[in-house]
Amino acid sequence: MAQLLEIKNLHVGFRTFEGELKVLNGVDMVIGEGEKVGLVGETGCGKTTTVKSVLRVLPTPPARITGGEIFYRGKDILKMKPGEIRSLRRGEMSAIFQDPLAALNPVFTVGHQLRDVIKYSSRARHGKHLSKKEIRDRSIAVLKETGMPDSERILSNYPVQLSGGMRQRVCISEALSAAARLLMADEPTTNLDVTIQAQILRRLNELVAKRRPSILLISHSLGVVRNLTERVYIMYAGNIVEVARTKDLFADPSHPYTKALLKTVPKLTGEGISQGIPGRIPNYLNPPEGCRFHPRCGHAMPICKKERPALFILGDSHKVACFLYRR
Amino acid sequence: MTVEGLRKFFFTKQGTVRAVDNISFSVKRGEICGLVGESGSGKTTVAHTLVGIYEPTGGRVFFKGQSISRVFSQRAKSLKKDIRIVFQDPGSSLNPRRSIKQILELPLKVHRISSNSDRMERVKELLRMVELPPEDYMYKYPQAIGGGEKQMVAIARALASNPSFVVLDEPTSALDVSVQAKIINLLMQLRQSLNLTYLFITHDLSLMRNIASRVVIMYLGKISEVAPTVEFFQNPFHPYTKMLLSSIPAVSDEEENLKPKEVILRGEIPSPVNVPPGCSFHLRCPQKMDICSRVDPTIVEVTKGHSVRCHLFSDRREPT
Repeated sequence: MAQLLEIKNLHVGFRTFEGELKVLNGVDMVIGEGEKVGLVGETGCGKTTTVKSVLRVLPTPPARITGGEIFYRGKDILKMKPGEIRSLRRGEMSAIFQDPLAALNPVFTVGHQLRDVIKYSSRARHGKHLSKKEIRDRSIAVLKETGMPDSERILSNYPVQLSGGMRQRVCISEALSAAARLLMADEPTTNLDVTIQAQILRRLNELVAKRRPSILLISHSLGVVRNLTERVYIMYAGNIVEVARTKDLFADPSHPYTKALLKTVPKLTGEGISQGIPGRIPNYLNPPEGCRFHPRCGHAMPICKKERPALFILGDSHKVACFLYRR
Repeated sequence: MTVEGLRKFFFTKQGTVRAVDNISFSVKRGEICGLVGESGSGKTTVAHTLVGIYEPTGGRVFFKGQSISRVFSQRAKSLKKDIRIVFQDPGSSLNPRRSIKQILELPLKVHRISSNSDRMERVKELLRMVELPPEDYMYKYPQAIGGGEKQMVAIARALASNPSFVVLDEPTSALDVSVQAKIINLLMQLRQSLNLTYLFITHDLSLMRNIASRVVIMYLGKISEVAPTVEFFQNPFHPYTKMLLSSIPAVSDEEENLKPKEVILRGEIPSPVNVPPGCSFHLRCPQKMDICSRVDPTIVEVTKGHSVRCHLFSDRREPT
């Protein structure tokens, strides 16, 4: 599989009055052409920061990319000129964010916002100018694809007039009408009810199967990721701690953090609730030396406090950043 | 706690919002009763009515044999002491201008639980109860601590007056699973040691499976199914329950096998201003019959302790 996106050793910090928050601490990630990849981690582990770095929409300052490279089809995004990255965002990759109400502009109608996306993405991708009618037809078509009822009427509605599920469908429509190759969905269903979540995810899955973009699905819900992706990255405090095929990860989680995380999910089988993970996510001002998980880890060894573990290879595309697996 | 025919309507310019419409259920002493539903189903309205934030439009609530269908301001102080609530969002339920010590002192002062001299001791005790070291947390302000810790403080505040009944309104839905696990464990321990009864409100069915002894499902202000937990998950009756169960994202194959198969999901919860005629679920129901759009089904007990409000079961037949 050809590589579409490759993140190499990405470091991102945020400047605050207290000092620099070292959030991303050497993230490595690869997304293949047409591949469905998941990224899982707790609140504040740097998932959204990663996506925003790829899109180059991190506010700098306070954020600062202190190291690393992000290659999109062989070109380093971090070195692109503003014009280049803009056309990339218009025609090649797009994102769905967690809160659709915040992502949509409240003072423009859905039709207006969709029109802009379709207009500029078509220009960026094919250099083609569309007529008003063409744009309208496409808007309706793409809304219908996401399963939106009554899509013609929706065009003249404002975001506040729609329900949460419908708003998220609008966001998905926008993302789909722009993205040719890479779709990043940042917790697309976290704010929604389970029944709506299941509908949206199924629809997203169908659309992805039809159009075959690469997809990066970010979530803190392991269940969602399990149903939708082929490969999963587990992130903890700005580090990738484990990566594996989705099937392997759920059958054989290896990193102590992944294991603990899986245990804390309440199961339908009713095995009771685990004790949770002791401690809390570290302070990024003074993150722990060595492995950032060691203060919470039950298997911590002396070396964990000193050295940062590299990704050790466990099996076919299964890697884990933990000294327990060093050979 | 017994609830009989409880109604709560809100009168707005757009029309009457029938947030809670004629629901009856009971919570036995010492049990954990789970109240589950999508957003907009009226779960929180029920919670707020029970603790007295809203005055019920109709129906009655009994607590330990005594009618308590009054607003908070008219309730006896002893009742306020006995029924407490933990809200969903700890960020907005704790006063940002008060230190944690001040937050925990308020219920102690109001209910005259401790004298000035030993109040400090009681605050420390409460913090120890929720596993927060008092020395580190007493003089902090809510903004300085994490979401999970804030919720712990909110729980400590609820327990300050030695209640016997605690309403937990989605106490963990704003938190990560690892933090959720910690809080749930703590709540279970406290229930044991303090002899508490919980009404646990959530939209997370898998969480319910692990903690509740009985589950009540609400849809659009009405109860659609009540059952003991194990029975509920093994043999759900109502089509809405099946829909909810099938939409849970599972993390293992064993879990996947427990979900009802081939349920078609569609639609969203309608607005409670325009409740559909007949059964309120008929617009989304895969097993809709003619009668469903005309007549609202009544709740029937199909097997012992397992009731359902659906025409499929209104003649008490076993499901085919």
